[in-house]
Amino acid sequence: MKSTIAKAAGLTDVGLKREINEDSFSTDMKLGFFVVADGMGGHLAGEVASRIAVDLINKSYKKWFESDAPEEDLFDYPDQSLSKIGNYIQSSIRLANKVIHEMAAEYTDYNGMGTTVAVLAVMPDLIITANVGDSRIYMVRNGEIERLSKDHSIVAEQVEMGIMTDEEAQQSPLRHVLTRNLGSAVHLEAEVFEIEPSSNDRFVLCSDGLTDLVTDDEIQQMVVAEDDPEVLCQNFINKALTRGAHDNTTVVSVYLSDIEKSKSDPFKKMGRLLADILTSTQKATKIFKS
Amino acid sequence: MAKLILMFKDQVMQEFPFSKESMTIGRNPENNIQVDNLAVSGYHAKIDKVGSKFILTDLQSTNSTFVNDKKIVSCSLKDRDKIQIGKHVILFLSSEKDRAEQSDIDETMLLDTVQQRELLAKQGTVAGQSLKKIGVLSFLGSSEIGEVKLVKRLSRIGKADNCEIKLSGLFMGNTAAAISKRPSGYTITFTGGMTKLKVNGQVIKESVQLDDYDTIELGSYKLQFYQKEVESI
Repeated sequence: MKSTIAKAAGLTDVGLKREINEDSFSTDMKLGFFVVADGMGGHLAGEVASRIAVDLINKSYKKWFESDAPEEDLFDYPDQSLSKIGNYIQSSIRLANKVIHEMAAEYTDYNGMGTTVAVLAVMPDLIITANVGDSRIYMVRNGEIERLSKDHSIVAEQVEMGIMTDEEAQQSPLRHVLTRNLGSAVHLEAEVFEIEPSSNDRFVLCSDGLTDLVTDDEIQQMVVAEDDPEVLCQNFINKALTRGAHDNTTVVSVYLSDIEKSKSDPFKKMGRLLADILTSTQKATKIFKS
Repeated sequence: MAKLILMFKDQVMQEFPFSKESMTIGRNPENNIQVDNLAVSGYHAKIDKVGSKFILTDLQSTNSTFVNDKKIVSCSLKDRDKIQIGKHVILFLSSEKDRAEQSDIDETMLLDTVQQRELLAKQGTVAGQSLKKIGVLSFLGSSEIGEVKLVKRLSRIGKADNCEIKLSGLFMGNTAAAISKRPSGYTITFTGGMTKLKVNGQVIKESVQLDDYDTIELGSYKLQFYQKEVESI
């Protein structure tokens, strides 16, 4: 069977103003699992938080996914609105949050450390995205861009409530103030979305180092223009660098293959035609009966 | 140290170093920055130094306070912001040190819940009280199914066993369509099979966002989509 993922790549850059890169990311082609995390907190704490998040989320997800773990075995209560695999992701984020939270409380060096996460899981019949904080996930389908993540920031919440416009949010001095992250609270709820995959979908996971400097429209244009995810990641980093790169920038891009090719084969087309005729007769009989 | 430059018709009138924690602006001589003009209220506005930030607040003045031509109630000042009061302009200049500190705002930080609640209370909304909206599919016509709440993030429609909404029919796809709740709202996607998907009479081959009272047709099934508010899902 052909793999759902055609190609994927990830790249991170410290930028021009920071000394340390506090972002972390992972790409697991075999599992179809991708994570970006943007750490915060003084000294090395931010780096530690994002690294722990990426490692732990990968580890828990892999373990549960490969053993087809029942929902009762997961950490914390399962979310009834999610699929089993959606709950693997929700639970793996909650578990990472607990570990980071406890470490931050335990060691003075780690006080106040935290991290965002953006997660993408690709399966032949399901796409799952999950996020906490302001790292984002974009999907470009049929040339159109759509966010599959929800920012947990004051300004994003005010935009949602209709108090602020998108433009005002971009300019607001409060735009980097998060309302949720991994590490600050005992309990955490990630934003999880589940959708059906479609042929040639393209996904971008990124830290705010990119979205601070590059607009959604520009991201859409750059994704559409580049067929190699590896080159795309480099293009994004270069763009951020030419615009000052005041923060660390991390990009992971995942391109899906042509998964629905069989749809257009002539036999099925015939079948569909036949079906259409039959459904109309079915309908006609129904009307006739009534 | 930050400073304020009082200007009138592009002429510099006076410079004020920001030496205190708080500076007031108004017509009354008691103000730190006195602007003697009838368009200016007795106590017109104030600027507070909060950490490394400078917060300008309009003191419910008659003729309002503007920053860079925009009316404000309260706002954080940036270097070279133009505060307009009556016909006078006060230019805000942050010092080198303040500017360096201010750039720290670029760094992501987490808002603690107390701060958040205060902020939201100021905005006149109460956190956690928002009602959640949930999508509902209502079967039209002679179906015995009635209404189906879209409790899942992704609801598949078709004849396969893993479908949340199971519909029969010889040519119904195993998964004919899927409705997902996304950041932008509910979206329906055609996923396959030989039964056509129509939304408001239009054949959908990819996906379309659902609005309240859209009608969805899948073979001989006809459904209506709407959202209703629930306390919690």
